[in-house]
Amino acid sequence: MIQAQVRAGAAIQVEGLIKRYGKQTAVDGLSLTVPEGSIFGLLGENGAGKTTTIQMLLGLVRPESGRIEVLGLDPVRRGLDVRRRTGYVPEAPVLYDWMTVAEIGWFAAGFHLDSQGTTSGYQYLYNELMRGFDLPPNKKIKALSKGMRAKVSLSLALASDPSLLVLDEPTSGLDILVRRDFLESMVDLAGAGRTVVLSSHQLGEVERVASHVALLHSGKLILAEPLDELKSRTFLLSLTFASRDHLAGPPGGSSLELIDISDAPRQAHWLVRAADRAACEAVRALPGVEGLQIETPSLEEIYIGYMRARRPALAPSLAVHVA
Amino acid sequence: MILVDLNAADDRPIYGQIADRVKFAVAAGVLRPGDLVPSVRELSKQLVVNPNTVARAYRDLQAEGLLESVRGMGLQVAEGAADRCRAARREMVRQRLRHAIEEASQSKLDPREIETIMHEEWVRVNGQDNGDGRS
Repeated sequence: MIQAQVRAGAAIQVEGLIKRYGKQTAVDGLSLTVPEGSIFGLLGENGAGKTTTIQMLLGLVRPESGRIEVLGLDPVRRGLDVRRRTGYVPEAPVLYDWMTVAEIGWFAAGFHLDSQGTTSGYQYLYNELMRGFDLPPNKKIKALSKGMRAKVSLSLALASDPSLLVLDEPTSGLDILVRRDFLESMVDLAGAGRTVVLSSHQLGEVERVASHVALLHSGKLILAEPLDELKSRTFLLSLTFASRDHLAGPPGGSSLELIDISDAPRQAHWLVRAADRAACEAVRALPGVEGLQIETPSLEEIYIGYMRARRPALAPSLAVHVA
Repeated sequence: MILVDLNAADDRPIYGQIADRVKFAVAAGVLRPGDLVPSVRELSKQLVVNPNTVARAYRDLQAEGLLESVRGMGLQVAEGAADRCRAARREMVRQRLRHAIEEASQSKLDPREIETIMHEEWVRVNGQDNGDGRS
């Protein structure tokens, strides 16, 4: 069997991915690269195509067309091998309620035999994780709180010592302490050179731990780039104007790319993409501009801006930023 | 092992905040020349931030000559770092005051009013002046 060639340093490579459900296109020509050792944040509204994409990466769902490589393997043909090397925490993990915390680890170990055909590696790690997360080994899953169930799920995923950890909204509805545990595990993995893909609505958390982010909207990719590049090139401009009759946006030919606008009689907020702060300063000289403040928006503000995308009709359409 | 904490309200880049905190720790003598700083992995776990962020802060501190690599052990505080960190802390305070003054100047308030406000706030924080600690 010929193994797919992986671009150096890419844990995941996706090109032209398409998935339809009947008349609905869930994933519409998605292309992106997840670098090895990154914490890759997948953002987007519910129904944007994040879960479908993850399912295709793991070989659980078959795409209509497109190329996928996960850890050098094709998940369509070698899904089992992909899933063996990947730790997966789905949005609503299905755990056998009647098993105890210890029993489910023993059960899952059977799917992760080592080269000698034993389960001892998996079991050892699972026990360590159980201890670290303070999970009661002899308690039945059905008697656990939501937070503890999530930690069981995470332990099952990490016990195989995976090169890739995929988390699909693992902490929705969970308290901050559990969310911290998850974030620490992610950071720890990345510190060890492993790769993490995190689909999450918790933008504040993504902002802390992610090295890269991708934004999906209605199945399409809006942007995918290193987080520090996104933050160093996105600016929130607060303008005050001399009169109510003022510029609707950066003039055509400006080096500023408009993402979203908020208008008021003599004020406006422009969320823009620019090469640097100096490029934004040029706005001060535009006709009718009385005052200008330039700020660095949070990831949440950037996300909302791209989602709202309120732009005057004449503004050029946004190029997709893929880095 | 030092304890570093980040200010959630601070909107400066995290790597800058981490570098500043290390400098403050050195300036205050909490970290002394020869002391090892936490590893990238340890600190990123403690702060729950991406390891690259910590790595960048440490790189910047190395470039400034405040941290140096010790083979097989990690990064340690360099000789003479304390003085430079105290100077850096002074510079940081200057920049923050400058920023506040810029903002106040843009507000078009009377300069004397701004000075009065500054004095009032000083008293509020430090008690009646003379710096002898008595209100």
